[in-house]
Amino acid sequence: MQSIVAKDLTKQFGTFTAVNHINFEVEKGEIFGFLGANGAGKTTAIKMMSGLLLPTSGDALIGGYSIRTESKQIKKHIGYMSQRFSLYNDLTVFENMQLFGTVYGIPPKELKQRINNSLEELMLLDKKNSLVASIPLGWKQKLAFATAILHRPEIVFLDEPTSGVDPIVRREFWKLIYQAAAQGITIFVTTHYMDEAEYCHRISIMSDGCLKLIGTPDELKQQMGVNSIEEVFVKFVNR
Amino acid sequence: MRIILMLIKKEFLQVFRSPLLMSILIVAPMVQFILFPFTADYEIKVLDIAFIDNDNSTLSRQLIEEFSSSTHFRSKGMIDSKSYADQLMKADKIDFLVEIPLNFEKNVMGQQGTTIAITANAINTVKAGIGCGYVQTVIGDYLKETAENSGMSAFSDNAQLFTTNIYWYNEQMNYKNLIVPGILVILVTLIGAYVTALNLVREKEIGTIEQINVTPIRKWQFLLGKMIPFWILGMAEFIMGLFLMKLIFSITVQGSIPVLLTITAIYLFVMLGLGFFISAVAENQLQAMFIVFFLFIVFVLLSGLFTPTEGMPEWAKFINYLNPMSFYMDVIKKMVLKGCEFSDVKIQTITLSVMAVILNTAAILSYKESSK
Repeated sequence: MQSIVAKDLTKQFGTFTAVNHINFEVEKGEIFGFLGANGAGKTTAIKMMSGLLLPTSGDALIGGYSIRTESKQIKKHIGYMSQRFSLYNDLTVFENMQLFGTVYGIPPKELKQRINNSLEELMLLDKKNSLVASIPLGWKQKLAFATAILHRPEIVFLDEPTSGVDPIVRREFWKLIYQAAAQGITIFVTTHYMDEAEYCHRISIMSDGCLKLIGTPDELKQQMGVNSIEEVFVKFVNR
Repeated sequence: MRIILMLIKKEFLQVFRSPLLMSILIVAPMVQFILFPFTADYEIKVLDIAFIDNDNSTLSRQLIEEFSSSTHFRSKGMIDSKSYADQLMKADKIDFLVEIPLNFEKNVMGQQGTTIAITANAINTVKAGIGCGYVQTVIGDYLKETAENSGMSAFSDNAQLFTTNIYWYNEQMNYKNLIVPGILVILVTLIGAYVTALNLVREKEIGTIEQINVTPIRKWQFLLGKMIPFWILGMAEFIMGLFLMKLIFSITVQGSIPVLLTITAIYLFVMLGLGFFISAVAENQLQAMFIVFFLFIVFVLLSGLFTPTEGMPEWAKFINYLNPMSFYMDVIKKMVLKGCEFSDVKIQTITLSVMAVILNTAAILSYKESSK
């Protein structure tokens, strides 16, 4: 079963085409890496798929719902983590999770349970009542991810979730991603770190708004005749 | 419902954790109440006055003496020529010149009527106008006294009419009674439009609104979750203002307080709607501030706080039909000072209600969960 089906998805801003007829499918429970240089159109694509931006033409089915006509339904079934940290800095860890959990309609008792479990997994339980502003960036990112999957969405969109965090936290973050995928959550992730791309089940490379390559990391390396995704990327972008 | 309650809780937590916002909410009304009425006082305390006495009689000297004993005037003494008086006035040494004509005593005693010239420095028209009134009062009182003392009962027959003014609703002609209720209006307006517009645009700026927009939250839920907390804050601010008004200026509401609160609640919704509409249009806090500031100045100047709306040109009166503040200012004056009934402010209430509906609809329509 497909979690995401993009069909000729296109976005134009005036005369500039940010996303140009992209087509791809993502399977349920898959970790799908979305690579591309800065300005390639990754964030625009993610924003369209999460209902923040309307496509100029084409469509995408997210969990079977059209982003053109059924964005209300989509919003119930997805989680989203923005490129920019966007939880409330002036609320505590618990208050943030409680706010978003409530918004997704999780009953109060269960919500408390889920928050506690989630914080325990993140080893953030002692920071439960600290203001988010006071915790380090790496932890903030983990918290944002935990908040994005608190309502157990079918699909979670992660827009450069690990930019600016240290390698240890990045590794921990990917552990969380694997755990979520194991629970059946489809992961759609953009990144600039090529080692992270190797962790993905499948990756795609975007350039100038077009989707140029798509496949498993091994397939792409073979196809380009190189040893790492980094080489694939550099070779590809320079071409 | 649970979602809206959660959003309200979130908003209050944020307000109470923001030291800046808290101090604006608590300190601003106090400072405005304490400072503003005294600076905007039209009462003239001391007027500098000089005299040209062409008569040099007992009566004229007594009259001049009379001014010295008045607390409103500070006598700058006798002057010989008008040209010197002009110099003094240019140098701001005197505000008024009283010129007593030749044969003043003779004409008064002979009941023939006489003319005293009062020259005022009218650069400040308010000061000149009010001051002239004071000068006339002093002269009038003195002549009346003289007439009574010398048994000239016929004095008043001689077309001499002494007027007595009684100012209704503001018996002491105290400007504070007018300006203080006006500050209430400004307070409610600022909370309604300013604070809410900035709050919402800030969420746009720091990106938290994006996180909200990807959730299944409905527009109206989100806006209600914003509106209710600021509406409560606005009402609290208004009630605090009523207490300060009583405490500092001993002004009590003459009309019905429930009616006043109800109309204030409606006015707050007008301002909240305006604030949200502006926040939907503005891209950052700076833009929002400029828009609110511009509208605020127009609203205040046209509202009738500083100058009566009746004296405004037709086009200004027309614009005033679109100015929610002028309707509310009218209500506040009528309710606080005059003690009007609801029936007296029915039209204003209906107008404000219509404005509230229109602005809030516009706000909901212009608030975008997703952009094109």
